[in-house]
Amino acid sequence: MSFRTIDELEAALRAADYLPDRGLSTALFLGLALEKPLLLEGEAGVGKTEAAKSLATALDARLIRLQCYEGLDVAHAVYEWNYPRQLLHIRAAQEGTVSEDELFGPEFLIRRPLLEAIDSDEPVVLLIDEIDRADEEFEAFLLEVLSDFQITIPELGTIRARRKPAVVLTSNRTRELHDALKRRALFHWIGHPSIEREIDIVKLRVPGIPARLAAEAAGFVRELRGLDLAKPPGVAETIDWAMALNALGRQEIDAEVVEQTLGSVLKYREDIEAVRDETLARLVDEARTAAR
Amino acid sequence: MPAPGDAIARHVVTFGRVLREVGLEVGPGRIGDALRGLDAVDLTRQEDVYFALRQTLVSRQDELDLFDRAFLAWFLRAPVLPPVRGKEALQPARSVAVPVERLSEGGEEEPGGEPLEVGASVHELLREKDFAEMSPDEFRRLRRLIQAIARMRPRRSSRRRQPDPGGDLLDMRRLVRRSLRTGGDPVDRAYRSRKQVPRKLVVLCDVSGSMDAYSRALLLFLHAVVGSGSGVEAFAFGTRLSRLTPDLATRDPEAAIDRCTAAVVDWGAGTRIGASLKEFNDVYGRRALSRGAVVVIVSDGWERDDPDLVAREMARLARAAYAIVWVNPLKGNPEYQPLAGGMRAALPHVDRFLAGHNLRSLEELAAVLAGIERRHAA
Repeated sequence: MSFRTIDELEAALRAADYLPDRGLSTALFLGLALEKPLLLEGEAGVGKTEAAKSLATALDARLIRLQCYEGLDVAHAVYEWNYPRQLLHIRAAQEGTVSEDELFGPEFLIRRPLLEAIDSDEPVVLLIDEIDRADEEFEAFLLEVLSDFQITIPELGTIRARRKPAVVLTSNRTRELHDALKRRALFHWIGHPSIEREIDIVKLRVPGIPARLAAEAAGFVRELRGLDLAKPPGVAETIDWAMALNALGRQEIDAEVVEQTLGSVLKYREDIEAVRDETLARLVDEARTAAR
Repeated sequence: MPAPGDAIARHVVTFGRVLREVGLEVGPGRIGDALRGLDAVDLTRQEDVYFALRQTLVSRQDELDLFDRAFLAWFLRAPVLPPVRGKEALQPARSVAVPVERLSEGGEEEPGGEPLEVGASVHELLREKDFAEMSPDEFRRLRRLIQAIARMRPRRSSRRRQPDPGGDLLDMRRLVRRSLRTGGDPVDRAYRSRKQVPRKLVVLCDVSGSMDAYSRALLLFLHAVVGSGSGVEAFAFGTRLSRLTPDLATRDPEAAIDRCTAAVVDWGAGTRIGASLKEFNDVYGRRALSRGAVVVIVSDGWERDDPDLVAREMARLARAAYAIVWVNPLKGNPEYQPLAGGMRAALPHVDRFLAGHNLRSLEELAAVLAGIERRHAA
């Protein structure tokens, strides 16, 4: 599947239940058109990972996800040998009949996400999630893979990508990424969505939610973002919360139900305490007025 | 008929030059991407042109604003000129001639060997002397001693492993290879161990009026700490917070200190510890800069505003950090009691409380940093 215009891609993303703004659609489109990795940054919960998943759906491609963490190494990102099977194989064979070539052949190879993505015949979206969590050594290695789209396994040789996967990297900016990696990629910053878009997103992701409730929930979260909070809620929190409110059978919000369910929007005790009492009542009023 | 394409290319190349002038890094590779990007989108849609250029030419969130202004000015002919990046404030202020001026020449004629082990009485005296009472000459000799201290960094074990015959984790790849010779019996075993890497270190240094006497020595210490490797972040605060890491990352301490002095405009003004900590937590804590880090706060704890805010922000910081060390030069005085409101509010969240008024106390600080343990779950 390929897209000739941004509008076509946007329509396909909508069909995959994802509502991108024009900037994100353009970024994803250019990533495909220029065959370059796309680096998505933004606050937690603005839909970075979701964007990659929806792109895979829109492209009818397989999503391969590599979740990064500190200490992530080749054995967990690219490939590893299946040691228990190798040992068993040596023992089961006649003494001296197993060669090293046989032992380090494709049969004993465990393929991890990067190798899977490079060595695939079907279309692939490779999501490298939270790259900022991996350490710099891994980042340097990744840079190599993303420049040549090939992986070398000493025992087997070099494996070249027969079709380049679409690559999406996400970062929460816990550290600055290396310039070389940034130069290699397109960059898009995802901000919080506009209120109209957020209402649309809630309606799309929480089927059957009353329009009024969706508008009030989105409005209230928007008010929260205007406060001085340790961790302002993202779209993911709005969706969670709207689901909770909808499950409670609410038609609209009031101070009482907000107080009961605040834990699905705010994840820090200080933040919850900061909006208790008068603040909460005022925000509820403002959200309700705005939604009218 | 290549005419329209040429016009666009010229336009983009010139725009690249505009961006470079305002301080963005725009190489030929990016210009090429931008042209290919424009080729792929509908040029009659301004929004698409904007995003195509932005996504190919900019790679940092904090440069978006600069890009937007340049885009407005260049493509939309808006009557705003892109501002020159806020570097004016960071020009080295040569007039601030603190006595540390010639530090880079000083120290070279020191006797060789490990500065820390020089037991000569001169050094002994220097070690005990309060920074506030030092002469410029003594201060100069301080530099190398401080550097040696700063190299001791807290370490933690990484998830990354390295071959190590004495290690405690089996190296399976080698083990399998060696087992070939013994018919699959893992007789000859290879081991690996976890690599030790420096723990993140965050230093927050109070440079307000009440700390003025110690600021010079502490900035030297900061400079040496930042020079000791990656994973170090340094900040100065007074009435507001200012990130020093980029300024301290130069090899020349004199220039670095000049730049710091100029960058922290409230040098010598009052202290708003709570507000500064809040700014740190909000901006840098959210980016997980403090998570798992050893945080060193250098301050006398004289809070101008509300001590409650200090307590709240210290609690937030303590939850993210691995350990908090508070260095208060006043503690060097045996009579000292932590009565200042800000200090009292902060202490419950502090793991180690140290003096830092002379060289010996900086050594103590370094030793604490090298061996610090996580506080018991509070």
